[in-house]
Amino acid sequence: MPRYLARRLGQALLVVAGVVVLTFAVMRLVPGDPAVAFAGPKATPEQLAQARARFGLDEPVPVQFLAYVRDLFTGDWGVSLRTRQPVRDDLYQAFPASLELVGAALVLAVAAGVPLGVLAARFRTRLPDLGVRVGSMLAVSVPVFWLALTLQLVFAGNLGWFPVAGEYDASLDTTSPLTLWTNITIVDALITGNWPIFTSTLRHLVLPALVVAAYPAGVIAQMTRAALIEEAGQDHARMERALGFGETAVLTRFALRPALNPVLSLIALVFAYSIVNGFLVEAVFNWPGLGRYAAESIRSLDTPAIAGVTLLVALVYVVANLVVDVLQGFVDPRARRR
Amino acid sequence: MRWPKRLLVAGVAGAVALTASACAGGQVRGASKTPEAAASGTGSPAAQPAGTPSEGVANDATFVYAPNLDVVTDWDPATSYSNEIIAMSNIYEGLTRYDAGARKAVPRLATEWTSSDGGKQWTFKLRQGVKFHSGADLDAQAAKKAIERTIEKKGGAAYIWDAVDSIEAPDASTLTFKLKYAAPLDLVASSGYAAYIYDVDAVDESGRTDAGTGPYTVGSWQKGKETELTLKAFDGYWGGWKPEQYRKIAFRVTPEITTAWQLLQQGEVTFVPRLNPQLFAQAQTTAKVMTAQSPSFQNLLVLFNTASGPAKDIRIRQALQAAIDYDGLVAALKGSGQKASGLVPQGLLGGAPGLEPKQDMQKAQELLQSAGYGPDNPELKLSLTYAQGDEDQKLLVTLLSSALKNLNVDLRARPMTWNAQWDLGKKQGQDLFVMYWYPDYPDAYSWFLNVFKSSDKPQFNLSYLKDAEIDKAIDALPQLTATDQFKAEQAYRDLQRELIDDRAAVAVPYVQTYQRALSSDVQGYADNPAYPNVVFVYDLKRAG
Repeated sequence: MPRYLARRLGQALLVVAGVVVLTFAVMRLVPGDPAVAFAGPKATPEQLAQARARFGLDEPVPVQFLAYVRDLFTGDWGVSLRTRQPVRDDLYQAFPASLELVGAALVLAVAAGVPLGVLAARFRTRLPDLGVRVGSMLAVSVPVFWLALTLQLVFAGNLGWFPVAGEYDASLDTTSPLTLWTNITIVDALITGNWPIFTSTLRHLVLPALVVAAYPAGVIAQMTRAALIEEAGQDHARMERALGFGETAVLTRFALRPALNPVLSLIALVFAYSIVNGFLVEAVFNWPGLGRYAAESIRSLDTPAIAGVTLLVALVYVVANLVVDVLQGFVDPRARRR
Repeated sequence: MRWPKRLLVAGVAGAVALTASACAGGQVRGASKTPEAAASGTGSPAAQPAGTPSEGVANDATFVYAPNLDVVTDWDPATSYSNEIIAMSNIYEGLTRYDAGARKAVPRLATEWTSSDGGKQWTFKLRQGVKFHSGADLDAQAAKKAIERTIEKKGGAAYIWDAVDSIEAPDASTLTFKLKYAAPLDLVASSGYAAYIYDVDAVDESGRTDAGTGPYTVGSWQKGKETELTLKAFDGYWGGWKPEQYRKIAFRVTPEITTAWQLLQQGEVTFVPRLNPQLFAQAQTTAKVMTAQSPSFQNLLVLFNTASGPAKDIRIRQALQAAIDYDGLVAALKGSGQKASGLVPQGLLGGAPGLEPKQDMQKAQELLQSAGYGPDNPELKLSLTYAQGDEDQKLLVTLLSSALKNLNVDLRARPMTWNAQWDLGKKQGQDLFVMYWYPDYPDAYSWFLNVFKSSDKPQFNLSYLKDAEIDKAIDALPQLTATDQFKAEQAYRDLQRELIDDRAAVAVPYVQTYQRALSSDVQGYADNPAYPNVVFVYDLKRAG
């Protein structure tokens, strides 16, 4: 196990190192002078020179790279050219909101995807199966921005059932100030018993979380169905049927548990994917997360911020993969030899 | 893997995620920026929300502005030079404010002013009874210190004070400027950037407090949040308060136009600075929403490379001017732009009606043929750069490419980020350079000084024009503006004719038009193009 762990950790570190090199290269390869983005479109030559000196852009590229790596290790992820705040602080503000959205979406996705997968497996090749397969295919393939705009227009704009946008009613900051512990609004509201903000955040979460949940729900439903069908063909399932258990009991009482193993691995990977998939959803619903920050950074060619977001997302992917690998190696010794 | 282990794994993953975002350590959201806002949040009737309105509840005299970008990047009134103008203009004031209708500066913190010595000395009389938000009184010494600090910081648009040699405060209400060269200092003092008068001892770059004299002061600022900034009425404002005025402003950052439109329809925001043409048309017929449309001071320039390449030949440049479908472009813009007349937008001294260009394909063909190009001659290849993601510029490029194709001209257009486009432009890397221009203070001189005055290292002179006569005429403009506005008008008109008709250095297809949508219960809204996207909320009333 230690060798397996060291190998996986080494591979993860290599990926992170690759991402660091890549983000630095992209920052330097993007045409144009980053100093212009900081000093403004009408900057004087003196102001541009000051900006270049401030960000070390007047140093040779290898020196800039070494400084970049050194700063990353010391927790300095650079200064955003747009917000003029440390990128690390900006990410610290934005990332919890994305976690909140994706976390809620995954709860919805699992709550819907697993039962739908069971339903499809139970009625394989019949109408419910067809419905689940078509539905999950649609959920996986429909563009998120389209779904976001449609849900917003219908359920917020026309029916008025949910708020149009935002994380919670901002006026509550004055009437019911929230004490922050995790920086994840809904968790903090729950921990501190701040029910006005908790209920407001729940209402605001519904539509964006549904949109972000569409893809994972579809994938989870398909994976659950496939895994259950495979499990239902195993010897133990035949034995259970022979003992008089009905098909529903065979699937839900005996086949579901082993079938959920690959689903759990899938959830870890879909979590990282959903962070990025949620970027457009955040823009439509004004969700103050990583996506909105990334979109505005890209629009203003804020290279340190773009690099910061890229690095953070890459780290989430790497950590999610590492966790899955390590856990698989922990519970299944065969995986350590792969 | 057994279920308890799986649950453990899920728990660990959750804990890791929480820990990653944790360490907030029991701070109260918003309180770190504005302790008083949180302290007042006890749910008492007096502590009404300063942010967005409660769901389903009326605005309660909060004016909610929905900008599409983050509001504040720089809290220092000396160096602020970005989108925060929409907030700062409600917090800070200058000596004067520009009135686009009257085309002149009108009193603000200065009640009257005079110039002497051919526009090289200016004396401003300050308004009495004005207090800074810090509690200090405004007097000439405080104003002097503010302007001197802005000049010393050399940030943002501080260059607008370049003409100033010295500032004196002979008494508490008199401020005297001695200039190195004549300049219209009343216009300079009306700028939306770098002209604020503030209490230098109260400047707080973290945004907890502010140092202005304006009608509103900072309520709360939460960078990155949807409702990023709230402002509240400054009770000691010199203009006083009436019950029907908005006492609070909230800036609710809304990048998506469609979302902003939904929020406006739901009554959750009061003002949306820009919609697309389709939504703007819809807004014009929507109940409880009203629209406002007015020309800006920002126009689109097509700068021709007069120094190298095929466009060095004036006949090519004139042909390009004639090939632009000005009317078709304005029609296609569906109200977001209007036809330009000369280089200077209307509403500024120097705006010259009667200089509207027209497409003339026959003339364009003749000019190209005389230069050795055109339908029966070798193909002419030209390169053009424009702003990536700007649909209006893209429209111009599409129409121009199509028109030129009929004249056997291949226009290779490249959409680029401003950084990259500007870098290329400084190296004379294109034949046509498309960009917007707007003045930092309401003076037409900005176009001529920055875009057309000779420069060895081109900065914004991206037509690369070098002409001593034109430079001389440009240098004479500030003094004329300061001393003889009639002559200044004539000089501006002559220069525009020279640059557009005689030198064919530039084509001006259109002036951008502001298309605003706002709640119909707002009374008294009027755009002031000298302050882009600013709503002077103090000047508004709320119906009912």
